[in-house]
Amino acid sequence: MRNASALGIKKQKRYRSMKAVKITSLTVIHIILTVMAVIWILPFGYVFIHSFRGNDITIPFPDQIFPTEFSLDAWAKMFGGNPANYADNKFDWINFPRWFGNTLLIACCSCVLTTLMTLATSYAFSRMRFRMRQPYMKLILILGMFPGFLGMIAIYNILRAFGLNEGPLKIIALIFVYSAGAGMGYYVCKGFFDTIPKGLDEAAKLDGANQAQIFFKITLPLSKPIIVYTALTAFMAPWMDFIFVKLICSGNFDYGTVSLGLQAMLETENYNSHWILFCVGATMVAIPITILFMFLQKYYVAGVTGGSVKG
Amino acid sequence: MASVKLNHIYKVYPNGVKAVNDFSMDIADKEFIVFVGPSGCGKSTTLRMIAGLEEITAGELRIGDMVVNDMEPKDRDIAMVFQNYALYPHMTVYENMAFGLKLRKMPKDQIDARVKEAARILGITEYLDRKPKAMSGGQRQRVALGRAIVREPKVFLLDEPLSNLDAKLRTAMRSEISKLHHKLQTTFIYVTHDQVEAMTMGTRIVVMKDGFVQQIDSPRNLYRFPGNKFVAGFIGTPQMNFFDGKLLKHGDKVAVTLDNTDVKLDAPASYFNKANSAYLDGSKPVVIGLRAEHISVDPKQYPFKAKCRVSHTEELGTDCQVYADFNIASEETVAESPTRVIVKAPAGSYYNVDEIIEVSLDLAHIHVFDAETENTIAPRIPQEVACDCTVANDTLSLLGNEIALPEAIKVQNGKYVVTIPTTAINLKGKIEAEVVEEEDVNGQRLVHLKVGDAILFAIADAEAKVGKKAKIGIDLKQIRLEKDGEVVVNPLAYDNALTGKLAKRKIVVEKEVKGKMKKVNDLAFSLEIAGASFECSRALALRLVNGGGQDVFNKDLEFRFTPYQVAIGEEGIAATVEKVVNYGAESFAVCKLGEKTVNVSVPDGFAETEVKLSLNADELAIIEVTRSIRLA
Repeated sequence: MRNASALGIKKQKRYRSMKAVKITSLTVIHIILTVMAVIWILPFGYVFIHSFRGNDITIPFPDQIFPTEFSLDAWAKMFGGNPANYADNKFDWINFPRWFGNTLLIACCSCVLTTLMTLATSYAFSRMRFRMRQPYMKLILILGMFPGFLGMIAIYNILRAFGLNEGPLKIIALIFVYSAGAGMGYYVCKGFFDTIPKGLDEAAKLDGANQAQIFFKITLPLSKPIIVYTALTAFMAPWMDFIFVKLICSGNFDYGTVSLGLQAMLETENYNSHWILFCVGATMVAIPITILFMFLQKYYVAGVTGGSVKG
Repeated sequence: MASVKLNHIYKVYPNGVKAVNDFSMDIADKEFIVFVGPSGCGKSTTLRMIAGLEEITAGELRIGDMVVNDMEPKDRDIAMVFQNYALYPHMTVYENMAFGLKLRKMPKDQIDARVKEAARILGITEYLDRKPKAMSGGQRQRVALGRAIVREPKVFLLDEPLSNLDAKLRTAMRSEISKLHHKLQTTFIYVTHDQVEAMTMGTRIVVMKDGFVQQIDSPRNLYRFPGNKFVAGFIGTPQMNFFDGKLLKHGDKVAVTLDNTDVKLDAPASYFNKANSAYLDGSKPVVIGLRAEHISVDPKQYPFKAKCRVSHTEELGTDCQVYADFNIASEETVAESPTRVIVKAPAGSYYNVDEIIEVSLDLAHIHVFDAETENTIAPRIPQEVACDCTVANDTLSLLGNEIALPEAIKVQNGKYVVTIPTTAINLKGKIEAEVVEEEDVNGQRLVHLKVGDAILFAIADAEAKVGKKAKIGIDLKQIRLEKDGEVVVNPLAYDNALTGKLAKRKIVVEKEVKGKMKKVNDLAFSLEIAGASFECSRALALRLVNGGGQDVFNKDLEFRFTPYQVAIGEEGIAATVEKVVNYGAESFAVCKLGEKTVNVSVPDGFAETEVKLSLNADELAIIEVTRSIRLA
């Protein structure tokens, strides 16, 4: 018996139009992405909008999803303006500009320290060969897998031993806490340094550069993206962290960061009266980070190494 | 501008891999040296050791008069061009070139002048403000060269600088680098895996394989006198044809036969003057090499003819390569056949597949290699020459001359074969000889001497000229006598070897510290050889520790020395004199230390039986036994 193909008659397979397939799949993907984006952005939008909410800043929590009245009262209150109709002492403890200043100071200092230490550690692990290099790297990696607050008590005792748990010294204590372990975050940065050709180091070495000159004149200028990344993450940490501020400052808001104050606003007794102020504070925290990011974004340029060696 | 001297250089990685083995070479000022070999042969490692980017495991490296083993790359006054250019991407071309000078704190105007001059030489003046990213491969390579030029270094190192360029640009840059060398008059060391680059650029070429130097010679000599099969196959395109075969000397002819073929050719024995006679017995397997250009499809061109079967031809425009097989009945494809032959034919030649053609061979250019060691059987300076001789009443009759045998060589009367090394022949004797040929072999003058009907070889000074008579002498302590294939007299063993260790001990020395004499703890070193201890200088000990590592004190070391480097003294290694051999002018004591034998040069009439042997630590060749590395 002969089948159709043997006779030379091929059954035509039906193909769908490539364009149609593309449009369908793109539509589906975009719908999914839009839903995800909305879910993700909703809380931020909610907090932002409610920070401008109407005349009474002490209204209890969620009575409206979208506010009907708008004013800058809450912002004014946060920055020391004291509208007469709220002249009671339940807002006395709030000194947001001071908290903001504290956090900015801590963030700037720890940003510089952390970036320097991370870069130095990463450079050493990437470029130098010394005994125990591999074990050190593994040890640090494993240590990094434990949450940082496991060492809380030990850290507190150490800071107390140095007398750093008193008054304004708490700010220095916080800077230490946020930057002292910076070297442990070497991994991403080392990965980046590994991609910078070793030939450049060798060329510089033959040109007469010593290790420090190679680091500052060759490696760093080529590492802008990773420096920006390291600096940004380091800068963000103090704005985000609550555990260590709480531990070191406990109830004293004068030397604490914004997160300490903002958290206090959400405690049970303040919950209803401080909720709009919290929205203002939460929005404020995002501002410096956003500005910094926008300023540094242009250095996130891929391919800075282009042209150094034949790829 | 400087010479570079590599003295027994080794590179051994911690995992025991030997990347470079016993590399010794003198590079003269202004030479263009090319290291060539397949990948992984150690050529780049050697270059990087000269640059100071890799540590030298053992051996001594000199640039100019300075030992630079322990010197930072920047202090060695060298410049290097990398395969991938290694330009600093964030700097402009100008900054790239000026970087090295800026670090050396050179005045700005001087930097400017040098960079501009280099840019002018390389034709990149208009690109000085560009970043490397915006340049083509060839331009980047020029910048990399420029960065080296502005430094005005003593030695230029180039690590496969043209490998990343396309074929056309590579040819252009090749001649530019050659021109640059001419212009700069500096020592160049160039690494490549491309034999064409090596042949066209180098004044001398170092062929390497598996970490060993195979041969160091000029391009022309590498092509004409390859020292082994690897060099023969590596240099020249198409590759040299190799065949397994045998050689048999009969009368004044040598029969060359190729295995598995009907090819049997009678070549004049004069083609094999320098060949080691052990290979001419018709039974020892050898590898016969003949280049494609020394085989002709014209059967009349050379007197030696053979038939082969054509497989296919490759037309190259200028000529045509014919792939054929000397084994006419072979069933293997030509690519795998051990009797395959490539013949250069005139352009446009055409042959049918399986056509039987007659070719003629130029056996004057034959190369023969040992089948196992793959070394040539006819080195340019022959190791030794064997002649028939007779001994009667302590007199050796050799090529019509009578030589009185010394006491040391006492044999029965009869016919012998005497083997005389080239080093044993000097021009200060009584034997009449005629200089028939002279040649320069890497700076040494080799003369061919006709004595009777045999040709002997000697290293001679300029006085021995072709056509002149010479009086030659034979150093009898180096000859070997054989009777019916059995060795009757061996040459005097020249290499003595003893094993021992390096030892350290704590000592207290008086030293001036801040103007006061103080007692300071210090270390002293000694070589412990066969129960005796010899003082070892600090410099030598340092060399041994550098090469052998911190645990060198636990390692077995072998100490080598000649009979002239050991003396009989008051103290030293206790030994028993087994006998004293007298070669007339010289006497040697054969001393026993247990199983080992040490030959010592002694004055005439020496008659002691128990002696003490003393050595000078600085004169010894010291080898680490387990890794077989020469440390000093």
